[in-house]
Amino acid sequence: MHTVSRKSERLVNLTIALLATKRYLTKTEIFTSVEGYEGTPETKERMFERDKDDLRSLGIDIEVGSFDPLFNDEAGYKIKQEKYQFELGDISSIEVSLLSLAAQAWQEASFGDVAQKALLKLRSIGIPSDELSIPATVHKLNDGGQDLSVITKAIAQSQRLAFAYLDSSLSVKMRSVVPIALSTRNSFWYLSGIDQEIQAIRTFRVDRISGSITASEGPRDFKTPPGFDSSKTLSETPTHDFALIDVRVGKASSLRTLAISTQSVGEWDQITIPILNLDSLSSMVLWHGPDAFVQEPAELRDLVVEHLVALVENHG
Amino acid sequence: MVSKFSAPLERTARLLDLVPYISSHQGVSLKELAKLFKVDESQMTSDLTTLWMCGLPGYTPLELMDLNFESGFVTIHNAETLSKPRAITFEEGVALVLGLDLLRSAISPDRRDLLERIELLSQRLAGSIKLPSALSATSVVNQEVSGAIADALKSRMGLQITYHSLYRDVISTRIIFPIEIVESEGQLYLSSYCYTASDFREFRIDRIQGAAVQVVQREIPKKSVQQSRFTCTIKVLTPTRAVAERFKQSELQVNTAFDFETYSFQWIERSIMASGRALSLQSPPDVRNSIAVMAQTMLDRYKAR
Repeated sequence: MHTVSRKSERLVNLTIALLATKRYLTKTEIFTSVEGYEGTPETKERMFERDKDDLRSLGIDIEVGSFDPLFNDEAGYKIKQEKYQFELGDISSIEVSLLSLAAQAWQEASFGDVAQKALLKLRSIGIPSDELSIPATVHKLNDGGQDLSVITKAIAQSQRLAFAYLDSSLSVKMRSVVPIALSTRNSFWYLSGIDQEIQAIRTFRVDRISGSITASEGPRDFKTPPGFDSSKTLSETPTHDFALIDVRVGKASSLRTLAISTQSVGEWDQITIPILNLDSLSSMVLWHGPDAFVQEPAELRDLVVEHLVALVENHG
Repeated sequence: MVSKFSAPLERTARLLDLVPYISSHQGVSLKELAKLFKVDESQMTSDLTTLWMCGLPGYTPLELMDLNFESGFVTIHNAETLSKPRAITFEEGVALVLGLDLLRSAISPDRRDLLERIELLSQRLAGSIKLPSALSATSVVNQEVSGAIADALKSRMGLQITYHSLYRDVISTRIIFPIEIVESEGQLYLSSYCYTASDFREFRIDRIQGAAVQVVQREIPKKSVQQSRFTCTIKVLTPTRAVAERFKQSELQVNTAFDFETYSFQWIERSIMASGRALSLQSPPDVRNSIAVMAQTMLDRYKAR
């Protein structure tokens, strides 16, 4: 406990000294003025190197420079106030309220702890917030048991992620992906990225990842493909394939929500649906039984018929 | 989440964050501080004692921070250097950006003022943590519906809802008395008494298409009408992920059968149909038979084309 307290005390004092100084402080100045540096010059040196790394790991940016670049002066250190501080420009009470609500969305999930810390920092700005003035009920975010921060960190640093993924035939395969987006739809989290094996964009449902995700250094000079829009990958994947399906009037609402156009033909409506996945579309058509009938394409119709033949056979 | 920092570093971060919080909340109680920073009161006292020894080089009373906490209420002076909150970390920024995104989808489109502020805040945050704009979170529940539900729960009123029942594939209008919101497997349900069905029902909130507060008589029965469950035996012919997820089975083996309990004949019938060649329903026999008939009828229609 004592060493913990001594170390924290020294780190806080070092932070204050480096923040308060207008010019760079040399190591010699730090050792003589900042409380806590004791022992032989080598010990002090080692202590200081470790302290610098520790502060940097806490996200504190220590600048290295010298008094006069023309002379080969001893290097000096300081922390810039503007980099140390929470800087979002002028922030209003409404904005603090919005951010507080945003932080509360996490509760116990993945980012619950960090969101809580962010909330404390927000409150420390000292601007009162009034969350009740915002007309919104925020639903809670759920992480599906995965540590989402591994994914977000990998997105920012273009790391490569490796994980075991359950494919549609129920076999588990290792995937290697450089992630570019994380989004949630219908209460599921989706991770989009460049699948390294096929070098194409693929989207994975996070709860279908089994076991943990490991991150490693990504390919050099990685660039997000131009024109990529994460908000559109799931709902608006560009497709030139459309299905023409007859649905009984007043029925098949879940197919209707996917339709891009509807035409009335008496007792039936003819709807056009973009085909993203043949298997899942045929499954949806079958779910609706005699209330849905595939007109086009032949590929989808054949698949539905194939399943129907099997259903008759297996239940006769 | 497990802390990724060692004890002294975790503590250093806390000490640095304590100063701006106390500076903006002079007189805050020690108890509340301990709760906010998630430590016990003796640890908080020890933290404050350590801070009291910190300050500018020189470390005379003129340079040290001036902390007072003996009364159980904490004040701080002479701490200008650390009085502004620290920059947010990458992860904190991510949590806020995603939270803002979720918030955006919960705000009515006619509050352009708020939506614009959210957009700007999100951009500023992403910029400050150097995050590519690649994160998005949306709520599936429409704003009007969630607003009406919140109002009804708060004022103990009833609701008129239009609801899409997936099993029966009908959209119905119902009068309900909402009791509470419950979460199950990532989905939110509104647990209610349904006057239309004269029984208790749970409605998946994302399937409620419209909702309006309505006056209802509050006398509702204490007990639910017993719904009968029945067991189905299902044989696996082709193990697929779709089947595993639909029937919540962690393992599927070819040519083995599993039992599944359900309240709804319609649900089981549709689920077997949707699974196509992957499954065969062994029992109950009448459902098995009706599947065979339905599939044959559909097949005849395709053949007649």
